[in-house]
Amino acid sequence: MSTPSAPPPCPHLAAHRLSSRPLRFLRRCLRVRPLGRPEIRRDPRELPRCSPCAAASPSPSPRLYACLSCAAVFCPSHAASHASASAGPGHQIAVDVDRAELFCAACGDQVYDPDFDHAVFLAQSSSLLPSTSSTSPSPTPRKRRRVDYRAWAPDPAEFALMSSADPTTSASAAAPAGLRGLNNLGNTCFMNSVLQALLHAPPLRNYFLGDRHNRFLCPRRTPVRHRAAEADATKLACLACDLDEIYSAAFSGERMPYSPAKFLYSWWQHASNLASYEQQDAHEFFISILDHIHENIKDDQHKSHAQGHGDCCIAHRVFSGILRSDVTCTSCGFTSTTFEPCMDISLDLDVGDNTPFGVANTKPHVRNGERGLAGMNSKVSTLMRCLERFTRAERLDAEQKFFCERCGERQESLKQMSIRRLPLVSCFHIKRFEHSAVKKVSRKVDHCLQFPFSLDMAPYLSSSILRSRYGNRIFPAEASDADAVSELSSEFEIFAVITHSGKLEAGHYVTYLRLNNHWYKCDDAWVTRVEEHTVRTSQAYMLFYVQKTLYYKACERAAAV
Amino acid sequence: MSSSNDAPLSPRSQLALCCFEELLDCAVADVASECHRIARLGLDRSVDAEEEELRVWAARAAAGAEHHHPGGGGAAEEAGAGAGSKGGVDVFGQTHPAIAADVIKCMNCGRPVVAGRFAPHLEKCMGKGRKARAKITRSSTAGRTRSSNGITASSYSPYSNAANTNRVNVPNGVTDGGCGTGGDHSSHVP
Repeated sequence: MSTPSAPPPCPHLAAHRLSSRPLRFLRRCLRVRPLGRPEIRRDPRELPRCSPCAAASPSPSPRLYACLSCAAVFCPSHAASHASASAGPGHQIAVDVDRAELFCAACGDQVYDPDFDHAVFLAQSSSLLPSTSSTSPSPTPRKRRRVDYRAWAPDPAEFALMSSADPTTSASAAAPAGLRGLNNLGNTCFMNSVLQALLHAPPLRNYFLGDRHNRFLCPRRTPVRHRAAEADATKLACLACDLDEIYSAAFSGERMPYSPAKFLYSWWQHASNLASYEQQDAHEFFISILDHIHENIKDDQHKSHAQGHGDCCIAHRVFSGILRSDVTCTSCGFTSTTFEPCMDISLDLDVGDNTPFGVANTKPHVRNGERGLAGMNSKVSTLMRCLERFTRAERLDAEQKFFCERCGERQESLKQMSIRRLPLVSCFHIKRFEHSAVKKVSRKVDHCLQFPFSLDMAPYLSSSILRSRYGNRIFPAEASDADAVSELSSEFEIFAVITHSGKLEAGHYVTYLRLNNHWYKCDDAWVTRVEEHTVRTSQAYMLFYVQKTLYYKACERAAAV
Repeated sequence: MSSSNDAPLSPRSQLALCCFEELLDCAVADVASECHRIARLGLDRSVDAEEEELRVWAARAAAGAEHHHPGGGGAAEEAGAGAGSKGGVDVFGQTHPAIAADVIKCMNCGRPVVAGRFAPHLEKCMGKGRKARAKITRSSTAGRTRSSNGITASSYSPYSNAANTNRVNVPNGVTDGGCGTGGDHSSHVP
């Protein structure tokens, strides 16, 4: 999906553009109501009618067009006759009175013009002022610092070192590099599954293998005091160092399963509330360790915008994105926008609710097609539908009225989420565990989730969501919100899936890894190769996607990694 | 709303019907106009991709399921095959016992511990356990409130009384709540 592009104009529209003033001047004819469509301005008492129809029958037609040349109003059935019968050229182009869309009476079809769309857009944005200009100061996407390119070639000593390297450390025909089982230390499959996913997240892997955090040189490891107080013990434990050790172990070439005991010990020192021998939630663990890594190695200078920019630590650099939340007052249309950093996106699993009555239901025909051809019951949800639901405009409860600055009172409102900036690695957490405080029960949602191996996040970006909110008008980039600019591409490739099988109280986590376009199942110490369909039919709990530019795809030669 | 086969409608009903029809036409025209714009401006390219993806997925899932186990549950069987791998080997040609047999030196007390029993040992060793659960750290709440769309966030808690049925053969409710006796964990062996 890309920005809308104007299709080539029909000959009548082209002729009209040459002969008349630019369509931008129609702006003064437009009127925009809060949360409504742009329409042609008219007096409150004025009721447009189709003149030929009015003669025949008194009932008004639902769709009316106004000729751009003579402002005559007619309904679709009389459009063609107006175009041909009226005096002089240029009466072919009309505008839909209620929707502000151009219509070519000669072609009998809706047509599109960038100038006109620009006029509509300006009308819409001016009516929404001051919200578009006074959004809470957003962290403007600072251009990520780029490093100057310097060519490099190995010197003889380095070359010798590389040649002498143990061939088992690099990928062999048997299995890709870094593939190694992790021993279960006693109900620690939740930890193993997350570690496997992290081990093969390209940016994170490159960071640690590139010696960016050397566990032998980490300042935290140097004991400053000799007291055995637990507070100091926590200071000494650095999760990033322990992770570094796990990377070294996994990529060492050694194939016997590794026991991440030290990591568990360090983590328990940090997260004492979760430190117990029992099953844990993998997602909770994931968030916990990212948070502790941040605490361990954050760069204090960047505290102010730390989490949004991701310059504070590797965890944020890799996983942190920015979400945009728009709350719109339903009575005056004023929108309040906030930005918040996020390390992952938690999605509701919409079960069987495949009737998409969102604000912009854009694909009715596809829905029917999907239900038919999948041949499955409504228990199949898809990741894209979950994302759509996540970015859908939702009406907030009447109890949660939002205080509208413009109205000066609490009003009902709509809330819409969108993604302002994508992280390098997107982690999607599927909410399979439902806890009802009311009924005091918890249950697991077992429904299957379909997920693509290649994912384009463009429809869920703030730029796309905003654009569709304005009716998908074509407008020049500079006129749009700064959100339209995005540096990185929005295409992602999947590399890890953490699945959960079993019941809520007693279940098992397994990670599927995609390496060299083969899938491997990492079940604690057991690493086996599996086929795609196994992955597709598993119960995805957490999905990890990496930006396509960072993913080396389909290297049949196992040596490439 | 009376059916159209009944006696002629009262003027009021006619008016209501007229209103309804007009609103319906308007709504349909709205959707048509939006879809037309999306299609013309090339914004719907992802729809075909999504449809194709779903088709491929359905086909492969069905084919795989049939191929591997007539009538069985796919994931479960694979999980079973992978886990205990009765008679199977992993991708490196190795096999592993149900309880990891590696011996690790505990970094808290210095004693050698079998890897598969390291976690219960460490829990006792460090004096952690159920009773040390009072505080909720920032990390546990940070991950939850975002995408709730105005609804109170659901909260997770670690799941207790669990026996990891595929792995270690330990009965339920095994922890003694960290009584710190550094006890004899051989009592957990069934």
